[in-house]
Amino acid sequence: MNSLPPQIDKASDQAMSRRSFLRGCAAFGGVSALAASLAPLRELGDYTNTDQFLQKYYKELTPSDMTKVIDRIEGEVERQYGIRPHVRDLKPMDGVEFVYALNLTRCIGCRKCVHACVKENNQSRSPEIQYIRVLKMPHGSMDVEKGNHNYDSKQVPEKGFLYMPIQCQQCKNPPCVKVCPVNATWQEKDGITVIDYDWCIGCRYCEAACPYWARRFNFTKPQIPKDKINPDMSYLGNRPRKQGVMEKCHFCIQRTRVGKYPACLEVCPVGARKFGNILDPNSEVSYILREKRVFIQLKEEMGTSPRFFYYFDK
Amino acid sequence: MAKIDPSVQKKSDNTANYWLGGLTVFFFSLAIFFFVNSKQFTTARAEIPLVDKKFVDTTPWRQTYTDLVKAREDLSDYDCYACHDKAKPPLIRYDTDQKIIIPKEHANIEMSHGAHERNNICYNCHNEQNLNTLQVRDGNVVKFDNTPQLCGSCHGPSLRDWEAGAHGRTSGYWDRKLGEINRLSCANCHNPHAPHIPTREAAPGPHSLHEAPPHESSKSIH
Amino acid sequence: MISSIQNYITFLLRCARIACVGDWRYYAWMGALTIICLFGLNAYAKQLAQGLITTGMSDEVSWGVYIANFTFLVGVAAAAVMMVIPVYIYGNEELHDLVIFGELLAVAAIIMCLAFVTVDLGRPDRFWHLIPGIGQMNFPQSMLSWDVLVLNGYLLLNVHICGYLLYCRYQNKKPAKWFYIPFVFLAIAWAVSIHTVTAFLYVGLGGRPFWNASIVGPRFLASAFTAGPAIIIIALQIIRKFTTYRIQDKALLTLRSIVQVSMIINVFLLACEVFKEFYSGTTHSASAKYLFFGLHGHYALVPWIWTAITFNLIAMVILALPLSRSLRWLDVACVLSIIGIWIEKGMGLVIPGFIPTPLGAVVDYMPSLNETLVCLGIWAFGFLCYTIFLRMSVPILQGHLSKANEDEIEAQMTTSTKSHLIKSNFN
Repeated sequence: MNSLPPQIDKASDQAMSRRSFLRGCAAFGGVSALAASLAPLRELGDYTNTDQFLQKYYKELTPSDMTKVIDRIEGEVERQYGIRPHVRDLKPMDGVEFVYALNLTRCIGCRKCVHACVKENNQSRSPEIQYIRVLKMPHGSMDVEKGNHNYDSKQVPEKGFLYMPIQCQQCKNPPCVKVCPVNATWQEKDGITVIDYDWCIGCRYCEAACPYWARRFNFTKPQIPKDKINPDMSYLGNRPRKQGVMEKCHFCIQRTRVGKYPACLEVCPVGARKFGNILDPNSEVSYILREKRVFIQLKEEMGTSPRFFYYFDK
Repeated sequence: MAKIDPSVQKKSDNTANYWLGGLTVFFFSLAIFFFVNSKQFTTARAEIPLVDKKFVDTTPWRQTYTDLVKAREDLSDYDCYACHDKAKPPLIRYDTDQKIIIPKEHANIEMSHGAHERNNICYNCHNEQNLNTLQVRDGNVVKFDNTPQLCGSCHGPSLRDWEAGAHGRTSGYWDRKLGEINRLSCANCHNPHAPHIPTREAAPGPHSLHEAPPHESSKSIH
Repeated sequence: MISSIQNYITFLLRCARIACVGDWRYYAWMGALTIICLFGLNAYAKQLAQGLITTGMSDEVSWGVYIANFTFLVGVAAAAVMMVIPVYIYGNEELHDLVIFGELLAVAAIIMCLAFVTVDLGRPDRFWHLIPGIGQMNFPQSMLSWDVLVLNGYLLLNVHICGYLLYCRYQNKKPAKWFYIPFVFLAIAWAVSIHTVTAFLYVGLGGRPFWNASIVGPRFLASAFTAGPAIIIIALQIIRKFTTYRIQDKALLTLRSIVQVSMIINVFLLACEVFKEFYSGTTHSASAKYLFFGLHGHYALVPWIWTAITFNLIAMVILALPLSRSLRWLDVACVLSIIGIWIEKGMGLVIPGFIPTPLGAVVDYMPSLNETLVCLGIWAFGFLCYTIFLRMSVPILQGHLSKANEDEIEAQMTTSTKSHLIKSNFN
């Protein structure tokens, strides 16, 4: 112990209590600055609620759970957009495996498929989310490096070019499914790779893994004009997504699982897109894969085994 | 332990006190700054115009005879004998370059079916015996609501593809058990007199998340 | 039982109390760090409310400085344990105490890593989906699930080792070898694994040819074992300057030899990479072209990578020469290596993997102000943690904070430590 004279001892005691008081003040100031720094969280809005936070994984939901979840979703959409949608949990059909074939001789690069998809699947208009990207490729090459994404030709098709729309290839061996840390994306029996939007944690590992740049992330709250909402929705498909989750083409699951064609196919003015059940020998896609000579599966060497086949008539 | 010089101790104590005091003041002003600043912080975003309705329109380019019948539209265009004489098939006139001369009554027809004027004889398809029908080269008569048989008589591979659903536009149900498939006919896309598909306007290109406001210039991502 | 818990709580409280006490330089440093942290927290609150649009990331470049910093810091955390090898494997007893400083750095680095990953998530409220058993962990297929497990395991490992050794020193008890030696050896292997797993996050993606190369794993380790010990060299000198803890030059020189060899290996691996990318001329080298020479009119990263390479080469030369035995030159080499490797792992690895996109588009990435503030906030938080750890551990290791003087009030204890400082300032 130091042997200090008594008056200095008392002075150092006072100094200590003054110091402690100031330390306390600084700490209090720090805590109030901390609280104030969190002020922007007031704008969180309907980021999450208890039901959504505790919601189970899709594959673990019982039918009654799913009814409650669908009710919640329908209520949320109604509150936000003023229209009560019809959300269904569509299961894959038996004996069905989807395949998409795209005729590169026919595609004129009009981009109508891009926008029909946006309309059908309730994608954000601002910021813009588009599942389909059309590449303008020079004649003779399938090297996507040579592709032009932003062509704004007044008249398509332009001579000397071919147009290649690219969307999720619903690979048989999907790298995105492999890397998802929480199993939020998986491939269903009918070949569609789906995403459980309420399970995704938004790490974007799948976006990094996809060799086709097919996956999109909601960097902020998606904006859809109220009058453009498509109320015919499905849980794994086109129900409006939230901020911070992934989305991608799901072969218009709300249409194809009830036997209809996807929206991109319906709008294509030249019939370049063909879709159907490969397990049915009488479908168009079976015919095409049987009769046509050359197929291109993009980046075949990746081993992803896509369900998307590009072919030529001439 | 060494003895501390009290005056030095006091000096360093005072400095520490000043720093603590200063920090307190700074923290409180920081709190106010954060609170005020939280009111306006929306990240600026370019306004992306909504796409024109025509780019999501699924209406076929052309209407065939069958469509007109179904829609109970005016069929007077197909009533050839309103002007022509049943007994006398109309004469086709050619100019010095073997190019067909379109009569002024049919001025809306552009004749370019086949390169090098290969197919410029109207009666290759139209039936001179009965103008309300069409004919195939082997003499078989084809009605206007069954035109694929005519087109396919020359364009066999396309007809086979079309019948299988691989050529041309389809819509409706891929699963025939659940609903009808709606297959468009040849003339829904191809003008029989000028079948080559004309070029069209493309919808606007994509906008990257942090892009500057969209321009008409060809600012390519590539 | 109860008394040992009470003792432990007393120990923790005293440690916490001493972290709040210091001289004016301590308050200034901690105050500055706290302010930066608060700015970072505020920026993150804005990001939570608005989404990741507040950053410079986009669908084209979907990982940015957050993951870049994460990658760098995992390397630092792994390498911080490098000090353990000479001590425990080669029995260099003089470095014994310094192991604790290294492991505390590892703890701080891992905390920063976990923070960087959390701020990068789109839905951090759904973190519980990652917990095995409660959530759905895609183990063993997803490398990210491996990363979650190994990083948290490494954190626990180091907290245990440091905590146990420090508590034993506090109690003036000899630590039981079975309770920490096996964990130390486990930590050595685990350190290599955390960085390899992080490397495999990138290597496993076939769709990104820039990353899908076997050299990425070894390069990660080589650069980590350069930057990590370099940071420790700097940190030890700072401890030497600001506390009365004696650190011998010998420790710094041992670390120097690790940095020296690792940097040479790192530069060699860089040469291997450059050869592979550019000699065969395949289209798979588009990302490397963008990084080193620019692509289609986009040159954003070119000055960065050449700066990094220059720094690394200069550092390698300095380290190879006996010149670097002098601490001033060693410091220069260390700072150059740290900056060079930070650029290499961040801008030189993460960003070029995204440019061009798998469909050939080139979209530049530029971190936004908000993103930078969050990064600075997390770095400041890491520094804050490490300062607090040192503030607690140095007095324990010196014997100033021990069970014996539990009754002595903090004031006098800090007074005595300060007196040494003031004394040294006088002389």
